[in-house]
Amino acid sequence: MSAVTSPARQASGGIRARTLNRIVIYGLLALFALFYLMPLFVMLVTSFKTMDEIQNGNMLALPHAPTFAPWIKAWSEVCSGLTCVGMKGYFWNSIKMVVPAVVISTLLGALNGYVLTKWRFRGHTLVFAMMLFACFIPFQSVLLPMATILGSLGRFGATLRNATGFSFGLGNSTVNLVFVHVVYGLGFTTLFFRNYYEAFPTELIKAAQVDGASFFQIFRRIMLPNSLPIIVVTVIYQFTNIWNDFLFASAYAGSGDVMPMTVALNNVVNTSTGVVEYNVNMAAAMIAALPTLIVYVVAGRYFVRGLMAGAVKG
Amino acid sequence: MAFLEIDGLKKRFGNVEILKGIDVELEKGGFLVLVGPSGCGKSTLLNTIAGLETITEGEIRVDGRAINDLHPSKRDIAMVFQSYALYPNMTVAGNIAFGMEMRGVPAAERQKAIDKVAKILQIGHLLNRKPSQLSGGQRQRVAMGRALVRDPKLFLFDEPLSNLDAKLRVDMRIEIKRLHATTGTTIVYVTHDQIEAMTLATKIAVMRDGEVQQFGTPAEIYNNPTNVFVADFMGSPAMNLIPAKIGANGSGLSVVLDREARQPIALALPGAPAGLAAFKDKPVIFGVRPEALTDPEGAERNGSEIATADCHIEVIEPAGSDTFAVTNLGGKAVVARLRADARIQPGTSTPLAFNLTKAVFFDPATEKRIL
Repeated sequence: MSAVTSPARQASGGIRARTLNRIVIYGLLALFALFYLMPLFVMLVTSFKTMDEIQNGNMLALPHAPTFAPWIKAWSEVCSGLTCVGMKGYFWNSIKMVVPAVVISTLLGALNGYVLTKWRFRGHTLVFAMMLFACFIPFQSVLLPMATILGSLGRFGATLRNATGFSFGLGNSTVNLVFVHVVYGLGFTTLFFRNYYEAFPTELIKAAQVDGASFFQIFRRIMLPNSLPIIVVTVIYQFTNIWNDFLFASAYAGSGDVMPMTVALNNVVNTSTGVVEYNVNMAAAMIAALPTLIVYVVAGRYFVRGLMAGAVKG
Repeated sequence: MAFLEIDGLKKRFGNVEILKGIDVELEKGGFLVLVGPSGCGKSTLLNTIAGLETITEGEIRVDGRAINDLHPSKRDIAMVFQSYALYPNMTVAGNIAFGMEMRGVPAAERQKAIDKVAKILQIGHLLNRKPSQLSGGQRQRVAMGRALVRDPKLFLFDEPLSNLDAKLRVDMRIEIKRLHATTGTTIVYVTHDQIEAMTLATKIAVMRDGEVQQFGTPAEIYNNPTNVFVADFMGSPAMNLIPAKIGANGSGLSVVLDREARQPIALALPGAPAGLAAFKDKPVIFGVRPEALTDPEGAERNGSEIATADCHIEVIEPAGSDTFAVTNLGGKAVVARLRADARIQPGTSTPLAFNLTKAVFFDPATEKRIL
């Protein structure tokens, strides 16, 4: 284009360029959305099809006669290895592991953040730096040391049982996994809460102190009720991570009826006897993915808000 | 014995001394204002009284009892914070009652106390709202309510008006003064605003760099500042601090002020302070407040030491109630406060009356008052 152009032409050229930009941007976005949604779509439609339809039809086609049979089978009949009792037991295993692990790690993270920002002690930055370091330790490197520790705990539990008749949960696979996930998650939850509480007005704590509130009263009555966004962020993050964890689960609870969902799903899909029932596998996978999906849908908008809150809160 | 006594209070953070030996006392029902520029240690001092900061040395006594080592909640104090520090998750009523709740006061009694305070502060209609639904002035009232409801021995205010707009600040200032008058509580109040200090206080402590520069009634501070800092900090517009020289005037003394391109002015000082004789022919700082430098018609008739001198007026600022005229003496801009209807033109010479009974002198080397 020459340097001398009429303003009108410039304007219309600008509009045209902008429209083109929009088309490209939205086109790309749509393409990526499609790309990411495709596997989910295939899983979902497959899980409602009969085996006949899967073997003879198109993978992307909608089911002709939608059936819940694969879901029912996945929930209560499917074989994981040699036991054929469905996913439901393992689903509850996961719930029993994930709920305490999330609650404990979130509460401890909040407590850590509270102390590291509002009750500072000499060397608090060093402590925080070391806790942060925990975020960067790869899972694999703690597998063996953790196994040793869990073994010792188990032996201690056995001693306790002999002495008192009760092991206090030590040695129990679910308790072990809760312990591992709490320890591993503490770095992240502390980071989240510390950064949130850093911007939390200290005058509120001073006011509560003058009002006569104790350390834990301040935590429970002032800090926690004003931490909803960051609690949601932490819960989503921890829930997704712990629910989806495969490595720790397979290492410390990899067999028998103590397996969490992820390990059980792997066993179901890898069972090599008979025909591969894709519809049941897909339904089982959907069941495994559902809780995290629900958590996102329910709390997702707080997630975004919470991530922003730390950044822009004045 | 005073109600609040602070004795040789020191506060160190590592090697940095924040408070360098504070001695202040306040009678029961008094209103002590700690005033000074930012970083002078006034808020730290207040926090040590509250117990939110520890003390390195010295003692704080309330009603004869040392409270150094008591937890904030055991000191029988209430505090109003700069940001109001209202708990965002609680209603106004919940905020006001939180302290009582923590002390295990029964619910019925709490309700009675809330109602009483709400009536005093006229916030009855706000009791069920959350702090985020209140305006700045309303939040301020709630914060005061939270302090009032406890009926403590001592009220601490940490710059409570600095977040309000100018008009509301004046209203709330009057309200605080009225509250103090009606309830007769003992108050310690921190501010950097010298007008708040002057209007509210029964005692003022002017602070700088962790030291009390002067401690006294507002009138003492205003009329008899002990050094250049206090003279300059208190009063608006600030006191004129003019470099001058002391000359002889017969057997007495005079103060000599340079004027641009003209003969210096010599003003006789019949009532000169005794210490001034030692400064004969030496430089001093001559301090005169704008209202003590005015047009001859507006000058106090009964002032015993009125001296008049022609001054070149550079700028005039009509402020409505007064007219401020800026002239140049001793190489510094000097503000005179004239009547609003004074006939005066910038760029002309006009006689100004110096009220020398109100004048003060400082040693330029030590910046201390010459008495």
